[in-house]
Amino acid sequence: MSQVTSVQAEIASEDADRAILYGFIGRMLQAAPSNEDLQAIRGLQSDDTPVGQALAGLSAAAESATAENLSRAYEDLFIGLGRGEFVPYGSYYLTGFLHEKPLADLRATMSRYGIERSEGVSEPEDHIAALMQMMEGLISGDFGQVATLDEQRQFFVEHIGSWAGHFFKDLSATDTDAFYAAVGALGRVFMAVEADAFAMTE
Amino acid sequence: MTDKKTKDTADRRNFLKLAGLGTLAGGASIVAGGAEAVEAGTDAGTGYRETDHVKKVYETARF
Repeated sequence: MSQVTSVQAEIASEDADRAILYGFIGRMLQAAPSNEDLQAIRGLQSDDTPVGQALAGLSAAAESATAENLSRAYEDLFIGLGRGEFVPYGSYYLTGFLHEKPLADLRATMSRYGIERSEGVSEPEDHIAALMQMMEGLISGDFGQVATLDEQRQFFVEHIGSWAGHFFKDLSATDTDAFYAAVGALGRVFMAVEADAFAMTE
Repeated sequence: MTDKKTKDTADRRNFLKLAGLGTLAGGASIVAGGAEAVEAGTDAGTGYRETDHVKKVYETARF
């Protein structure tokens, strides 16, 4: 497990935070957090910035959450009996079906960056958690070198910007679980900040 | 870097800071303890983009 050390020292502090947030949101959507994770989230310090407020909301929601409850909520939200409340794949969000062109486009990009799915994993690569962690890797340099801002923008625009904001907005409105709603709110704020920030250097 | 690009970059950094990025006090603690879906590449750091040089393995959730 690589922790904060995976974020290279040579990247600017705001970029390091971006990588941290992408990685964190990705992990929250990959599997339910442990009680240890929840303890850390409860202890988050926050400020009055938009991201800080969203983290404060998540921290507050973690107060009454347990790993057991969140494990069940994760199933209901993302897995369910046959299908959860959400189908968090880019292709599904954009076309109504899995395995459509958005996935093919992502695979082409992944191949360009040398990102591969591990053997034995059959889930489509355009799961929101995978995309968040790909952005984390591009920013922090986990793919061999830090991706330029232009490369980051291109990846974001092509594979995330068109649908992730909608997904997080929908998740933020769920009645199923307050913690995951707060994850949705955090993701929504972060995606909006990213979109605006990328637009500033176009 | 042109002047405009320098200014755009500075504007972007300021914007991100105002949004709350760059000063995440709890950054380290929210990273620790999470299950990593993205693992370190096997031969990263050569600067090449080819698959063999920058092999990256990731796992999605086991559904």
